[in-house]
Amino acid sequence: MVRTQALQLRRGRFTELSLLFWVAALAITGFLAVVAAETSAFGVSAIVVPVVFLALMASLHLFLVARRFRGDQILMPMAAGLTAIGLVLVQRLASDLLVQQLSWTVIAAGAFAATILIPRDLTALARFKWTWALLGLLLLIAPLLPVIGREINGARIWVKVGPGSIEPWEAVKLLLVVFFAAYLEEYREVLAQTQRRIGPFAVPPVPYLIPIVAMWLIAMLVMVFEKDLGATLLFFGIFLAMLYLATGELFYVLIGMVLLFAGGLLAYSVFPHVQTRVDIWLRPFADDLRFGTSYQLVQGLYALGNGGLFGAGLGNGMPERIPVVWSDFVFDAFAEETGLAGAIALLATYLLFVYRGMLIAVRAPTPFLQLLAGGLSFIVALQTLVIVGGNARLIPLTGITLPFVAYGGSSLVTNWMLVALLMRVSEVSSRMRGSP
Amino acid sequence: MEITFAVLLWAVRISFLVILYLFLIRAFGALQGSLAVESATAARPTGIAHLVVQRSVRGAPRVGERLPLRAVNAIGRDAGNDVVVNDEAASAKHALLEFADGEWWIEDTGSTNGTMVNGEIVRSRERVQYGDEVAIGRVALRLEQ
Repeated sequence: MVRTQALQLRRGRFTELSLLFWVAALAITGFLAVVAAETSAFGVSAIVVPVVFLALMASLHLFLVARRFRGDQILMPMAAGLTAIGLVLVQRLASDLLVQQLSWTVIAAGAFAATILIPRDLTALARFKWTWALLGLLLLIAPLLPVIGREINGARIWVKVGPGSIEPWEAVKLLLVVFFAAYLEEYREVLAQTQRRIGPFAVPPVPYLIPIVAMWLIAMLVMVFEKDLGATLLFFGIFLAMLYLATGELFYVLIGMVLLFAGGLLAYSVFPHVQTRVDIWLRPFADDLRFGTSYQLVQGLYALGNGGLFGAGLGNGMPERIPVVWSDFVFDAFAEETGLAGAIALLATYLLFVYRGMLIAVRAPTPFLQLLAGGLSFIVALQTLVIVGGNARLIPLTGITLPFVAYGGSSLVTNWMLVALLMRVSEVSSRMRGSP
Repeated sequence: MEITFAVLLWAVRISFLVILYLFLIRAFGALQGSLAVESATAARPTGIAHLVVQRSVRGAPRVGERLPLRAVNAIGRDAGNDVVVNDEAASAKHALLEFADGEWWIEDTGSTNGTMVNGEIVRSRERVQYGDEVAIGRVALRLEQ
């Protein structure tokens, strides 16, 4: 009886719907708090943006129901919740960018729906793996090209498109994970095949190390020419994680770490922008840095401290003291206004998201789908770790976006496509298991 | 009047945090619930019969895995099949296994490398009995009740 009820619930996507009601409550209270604090009144305008957003999420839900989509029901509401927090924070920190972010959300929802529909067969993605690799490489070097490339805040990772600019790196992430998943599915046996052992580590034959070294070289080139430490870390991190997922060989992770560390040391000794980053990280409060290059991080740390246990209250903090707070330091702003309690809830949401993603990976029927889901979940985990760690001064700060929450269109669109891909992997396994 | 506004504002701020936590708890509960349903359907024999994996390449499907069958089952490499066989030697749409008139029947749906039952190639529509071994590419599956 209980079981049939549960099965019926799954069929109707009621779990998703009930979670979306909580997202609605979250969006509306968030906007009310922020707008009321600004205008000292509960205005109608506080309702318009969340209502547009919620209508969008409701239509995505109806779209999935109409498609009789049988995949996961938790990821979409969680992504919606994080996006809602993101919109609340954009209203709070940079309200003139709100319309722009809302329209990016519409595009992201469109991209989500498109990814649910195309391609019809998910494993077909694996067949075009070299196309994805080539496309990824092209997008990776696109910002370096003279006419379309753009340098913003010292990082040359932007491409001019019409009036705005997009970050092609964001799309490269997804392409890379698809490519790695397909490549490793094909070669993981030879990669895992080992002739020699040094202590506990299995040493693979030398030719199979070539792809690792090639990836490392590309990552280093990105760091040198595009001056983007975050992208380098993410790029190489995804590669190592997926290599480990596919082969289970610790040796690869070890050799990758050594290579990354060596590359980092080399970059530190040669490039001034890397030195500045490390300097800011190690001694942000030094007299020569406090009001100069480390001003942003110092203000972020003050914001974190100011937040305390329960925060200053949404709309009541002083996050505007942090320069470019809406893109690099949203975590600090959120932690200031909602305190440790809010920060932990936010991180727990990411944890739950990644946990769900990894469960989907474990249950996926083929190695390609397993690696795909694992790699996609890992993107979210690593990105959150790197940016939150940077904001809290655990590691050097790098310009990576906090998934779904930070202001930025390219990031929002690709993250929603990521959610759609994860949901599709879960749909394949639920269909194969014969469960409804 | 000012004081009531401030009180209301704080109520909204606090409820934002409370709702965030309730949302998290609900999401976690939903996850646990869906896990329970998934393991229940995995433990319960859902199909009318099973294909048990005897031999496999690249670990998908895993050897020893019991794949539940419905009345009509498409077998092949595409993820859209009821039984997905992840082997290059298998075609995207490889074979059709169906239950009709109280018997199991297999039919090759134009695969490149053919379908075998107990080592013999399937010409047209052929009967499969419990215990028979069906080979799709390099993957061998035994029909069991």
